[in-house]
Amino acid sequence: MASSCYITFPTIFYAIRAESILKDQPYSFKMVPVPRSLSSSCGTALRCGCQDILSIKDLLLQNDLELEGFYRLEEEGLKSPTVTPLNLNERKVDEQ
Amino acid sequence: MSKNLNLYFDNAATSWPKPEAVYRAPETQMREASGNPGRSGHTRTLESDRLLYKTRETLGRLFNISDPSRVVFAYNGTDALNIALKGFLEKGDHVLYTAMEHNSVLRPLGRLRRDGLIDTTMIPCSETGYPDLDYLETAYHPNTTLLVVNHASNVTGTIAPLPEIIKSAHNRRVKVLVDAAQTAGVIPIDVQKEAIDMLAFTGHKGLLGPTGTGGLYVSPDIDLKPLREGGTGSQSESDVHPESMPERLEAGTLNSAGLAGLLEGVNFILEQGFEQTRKKEEELRDYLWNNLRSINGITLYGPETSPGRTVAVVSLTVEGADCGEVGYILESSYGILCRTGLHCAPLAHQAIGTHPEGTVRLSPGFFTTKKDIDFLIQALVEIVQLASG
Repeated sequence: MASSCYITFPTIFYAIRAESILKDQPYSFKMVPVPRSLSSSCGTALRCGCQDILSIKDLLLQNDLELEGFYRLEEEGLKSPTVTPLNLNERKVDEQ
Repeated sequence: MSKNLNLYFDNAATSWPKPEAVYRAPETQMREASGNPGRSGHTRTLESDRLLYKTRETLGRLFNISDPSRVVFAYNGTDALNIALKGFLEKGDHVLYTAMEHNSVLRPLGRLRRDGLIDTTMIPCSETGYPDLDYLETAYHPNTTLLVVNHASNVTGTIAPLPEIIKSAHNRRVKVLVDAAQTAGVIPIDVQKEAIDMLAFTGHKGLLGPTGTGGLYVSPDIDLKPLREGGTGSQSESDVHPESMPERLEAGTLNSAGLAGLLEGVNFILEQGFEQTRKKEEELRDYLWNNLRSINGITLYGPETSPGRTVAVVSLTVEGADCGEVGYILESSYGILCRTGLHCAPLAHQAIGTHPEGTVRLSPGFFTTKKDIDFLIQALVEIVQLASG
């Protein structure tokens, strides 16, 4: 079972702005269609490793981005993933 | 003189020619990207989204806008001005505007005034197109909320004294909307340094982009009511249009093909740099002005010399000749293209004393050469002889 973390955005402007800010940063990430198991205002989400999501969130907020939600998805083949909303204010992704 | 086709002196209406990349970019966008920005998550859509973001960011570099979400796309300068005026003004507001304003400002203001929503006061301008700053000081009302100023006149080229006007307005907590139709891409504009509250610009003139493009900068302390609402690709379950900028002021599919061309136009301007291009345009304008000044039978309108005072626009009348007729001869006998009449700015023509007949307007552009201007001058010499004969 693999886990990935997702950040969703209120509008596409902020999704693309996030990509623009992160492209020169040492994080592995990809802009992807929002998984059907998530609900989002905007159809594009940022997928990244869960070890990086806190730093990425901090960097994006420092740049005044509007962010919508943070999630961890446990994915197994083509089955519906298990979704865990993350409360990043507690700053402990792995333990949640 | 022989007819010299394609001598284009109508850049104040729309610039021509364009940099080669401006022609190519819309085709590439339509052939290779083409996804509807914001509407799906697939690769082509993302490419279009990136293009729009890059265009906002690049316009931000040009105008020193640090937050690209404050750059809203519009169809043209008129559209941007409508978004600003109708989104900003509330019932009971009083608005100041100068006599050099274009119908793109006069008509929306006229509509709001006739509908009983606002009052307006015009700041008169001199015969060379300068706003009367002493009058301005007396024109504020307690309910004045907005001052609209044409950065440079499309009739005389006169550059408005923005620092003085903005300082005066801000001293009274009045916001300033700058119509940069004739200056965006021609004169350096720094919205932060100059404390511009809203800047409306078109894409197809000095920015060298395609028609159907333009935009509005809205400073972070202004929230405009949306002029139109509809699909944005986000928050689709709600019948409330997104509040977040820039989507707040944009609805429906954007002109991504045109904006691809606009991006290349702005890139071209940034690569050239203002210092050299502005100097060249001022030299061309002065060369044209100084040569025409010595011709008996031609009357010129606007400031005498250009450094810092005008953009490359020269308006004239020929004694004994209707300006429409002069324009017709320039094209039919010499292949020279210009614009004649009132140029959608009737109050400006009243100020300079050419209403309702209008003027012949000659507007060189980035690609105009001194040789082109020599040909134009000789043509006008011959037309003056014809008119006096």
